[in-house]
Amino acid sequence: MNLIARVRARSPYPQIVAVTIVALVVPLVLPELTFYMQLLMSAIVVVGLSLFMGYAGQAALGQGAFVAVGALTVGVFTVQWHLPPLLALVCAPIFAAAVAALIGWPLLRLRGHYLAFGTIAILLLVQALMGVIPLFGRGIGINGIPPLIVLPIEDAQTRNSLLKLIYVVIAVVLLVVALILSHRVVSSRFGRGIRALAGSESAAASAGVPVLGSKLHVFVLAAVFAGLVGALGAFYFPFINPESFPPDQSFEYVIMAVVGGVGTLWGGLVGAIAVGILLKLLNVLATLPEMPAVMGPTLQYAGYGLVLVLVLVFMPKGLVPTITAAWERRSAARSVASKDPAVVSAPEE
Amino acid sequence: MLHIADLVVRYGAATAVDGVSLDITEGEMVALVGPNGAGKSSLVNAISGMIHPASGSIELAGRTAQVPEGRQMFPDLSVDDNLRLGAWSLGRGKRDTAAIYDVLPELVPLRKQRAGSLSGGQQQMVAIGRALMAKPDLLLIDELSLGLAPLISEKLVEHLRRINTERGTTVLLIEQEVDLAFDLCARAYVIEAGRIVASGDTAILREDPALTAAYFGGFEKRGTAQ
Amino acid sequence: MTLFITFVISGLGVGAAYALVGSGFVIVHRVTHVVNFAQGTYAVLAGMLASRLITTGTPHGVGELLAVLVAGAAGLGVGAVVLARRDTPPFVALLITLGLVFVGLAINILLFGQNPAPSVPLLSGSVDILGATTEWQRLLVVPIALVVFGILGLFFERTDVGRAMTATASNRRAAQLVGINYRRMGLAAFAIGGLLGGIAGVLIAPSQQISPYADIPLAISGFTAAVFGNLSSPWLTLLGGLFLGVVGQLLQGYGVGSFQTQVSLILMLVILIVRARALNAQEEAK
Repeated sequence: MNLIARVRARSPYPQIVAVTIVALVVPLVLPELTFYMQLLMSAIVVVGLSLFMGYAGQAALGQGAFVAVGALTVGVFTVQWHLPPLLALVCAPIFAAAVAALIGWPLLRLRGHYLAFGTIAILLLVQALMGVIPLFGRGIGINGIPPLIVLPIEDAQTRNSLLKLIYVVIAVVLLVVALILSHRVVSSRFGRGIRALAGSESAAASAGVPVLGSKLHVFVLAAVFAGLVGALGAFYFPFINPESFPPDQSFEYVIMAVVGGVGTLWGGLVGAIAVGILLKLLNVLATLPEMPAVMGPTLQYAGYGLVLVLVLVFMPKGLVPTITAAWERRSAARSVASKDPAVVSAPEE
Repeated sequence: MLHIADLVVRYGAATAVDGVSLDITEGEMVALVGPNGAGKSSLVNAISGMIHPASGSIELAGRTAQVPEGRQMFPDLSVDDNLRLGAWSLGRGKRDTAAIYDVLPELVPLRKQRAGSLSGGQQQMVAIGRALMAKPDLLLIDELSLGLAPLISEKLVEHLRRINTERGTTVLLIEQEVDLAFDLCARAYVIEAGRIVASGDTAILREDPALTAAYFGGFEKRGTAQ
Repeated sequence: MTLFITFVISGLGVGAAYALVGSGFVIVHRVTHVVNFAQGTYAVLAGMLASRLITTGTPHGVGELLAVLVAGAAGLGVGAVVLARRDTPPFVALLITLGLVFVGLAINILLFGQNPAPSVPLLSGSVDILGATTEWQRLLVVPIALVVFGILGLFFERTDVGRAMTATASNRRAAQLVGINYRRMGLAAFAIGGLLGGIAGVLIAPSQQISPYADIPLAISGFTAAVFGNLSSPWLTLLGGLFLGVVGQLLQGYGVGSFQTQVSLILMLVILIVRARALNAQEEAK
């Protein structure tokens, strides 16, 4: 009991290392990487989104906009303009950051619902633009995105498999970076004590809600992660079209962030995995031969909706904080009972 | 009419009212004075049922209505509508405002005016009228004079005196302006840091040298609020 | 010219529906400070339900009325969930309504399928206006919407319950003091929002091919209309909705494509950015 309390009080780096190792081993035993890659991609976006939502107390309902910007950058740079893929990968987060700064600047100072709709606006606009502008694919999308790096392997199948594995590894690295950066923000002076869901708005306001500048920083940071995910996805799949970024996906991100627990270090990852697996199960259920066609979307949306509502009403802080709190209560009770003097965990920093 | 015994009110870890007992009989006008943060508003909110005490008892024979601190208008509604809403809890059909205009004739020309556009003194009058609409047996008035010129406060006090003598409404007046409160009320309680530190006839309290030195030089100078 | 008039008239019809959805946003927001994403879902529910009822024998008028009432009940349900806990911040409440939108979508798909509902106009046939041929159905929408807005205005200004809701919206503490039950007022606001959304759905379903997936686009257009009105003025919302509808129909009519939602959003973004300062000051004053 005390060991766990002590471990948690110290830095999360041991856990991050553990997660990294697991994340790198899993793909080696999976027959097919697509679902895993999607999980990783969602997790990266959601880690950033969760940070932003917990920090700013607002929801970005269209986070996919930044994923789309990143993917578009790669598509346009590599296929339309024949620029080096690595350059595209580097520029993707930059463009995503620019768009985020542009809409964050006016919208973040307003009440939360304006940003919520504002990000949906950007997403739908990007989709619309992809539908009409030839550069962006004009409805058909951009196909044949070249690999990020050229592998000197003859056999196309082996080469592709290895390539996908490399993308997965890059995604894991990205996830780890996202977690580390997230930790830095969460445990900073600002991150501590800002629990937007924990109290009323006025209480948060009088407690010193972060200034616009800091909110913007975190918003842009989340957009950078999303942009990188979009770029990586463009290489992985390797095509993009307007249907690649449906609004549903963006709502999914929000649901994952909420379920895991916004503003916490592990909330994003936990939420992405939990909801991702749940939705996959529902999908499998819906495609069973006995199921009528209408069950597919019905189960999917019922899943989204009920998970979100139930968590928000009964467990508003999300999985990670709720379980952590329950754990702490139990360990405190047990320590009191056993009169263990080493109960108080030494806080780091 | 009102019997409070050992009342304790807490806000989280802070104790706002720390074992207060007081009594008010029907028809009285009683003042509750004390510095900022002494617990006056918490006590009043507990009496009107807005907050729940941690312990102790409040026995109340009849209805209360509160004239809140800062007037608390419904700014977009007219004076008449504000008054009507005062009788919300009485139910449909009992919301006629005519009687209030008899008591507070200054409001008649203002009937249709937006409450948010009135002066402080006018709003305070509306607040009193709104409270009276609920036909209370006990009128709780929280900081009558706050932000108002002395002349206006005195006029309001005149109205209160008439309300008390003509309608028999019991009045509990929470006030920082001690002179004003003692002019109106025959009896007073002095509260500080959540406790009653003195009580009795205002005529006698005024003469008490210890209290005069401590309190009646002006509460702002004391700076005892924690 | 006649084409132009046709587009304007149908734009007004669509816009009036957006305004009704938008006024639902406004009323709920004023009283509870919550933005209720489900406003569009009510319209879909009522529109598809009315269509189903009427095509299976329920007479016109009755079918629409029932559908609107069901939408009102749905509004009440949403309100009950959103207001279940006393201390829910508006940010969380918005997300709860989002979750309920999905639940609603699932229910709508289950009940009505994924395809648009068959069109059952109250009035059939068309009429010539200024040389343009317009269906009678489309002409119904604006007058009915105006009547609804008028009734709404009367409700808030002349009835005690309406005044109580306005009071709760402007000074919750004083409302509490006077004995107004905040939760009840909030539920009433949500129910009215449901009714308004339902009326919108019933009015445009015949001309507009509503499927369950129209919920969020309707909510977005309705919200944009409400933003026109600063989330507080129903009449400005009406204006905004009409403007939005007309612009959208003109764009679609003249062949640029169907971009109603995007147009709404761009307009909304523009308004928000232009008004950011003013809106911000207003928020801070609260």
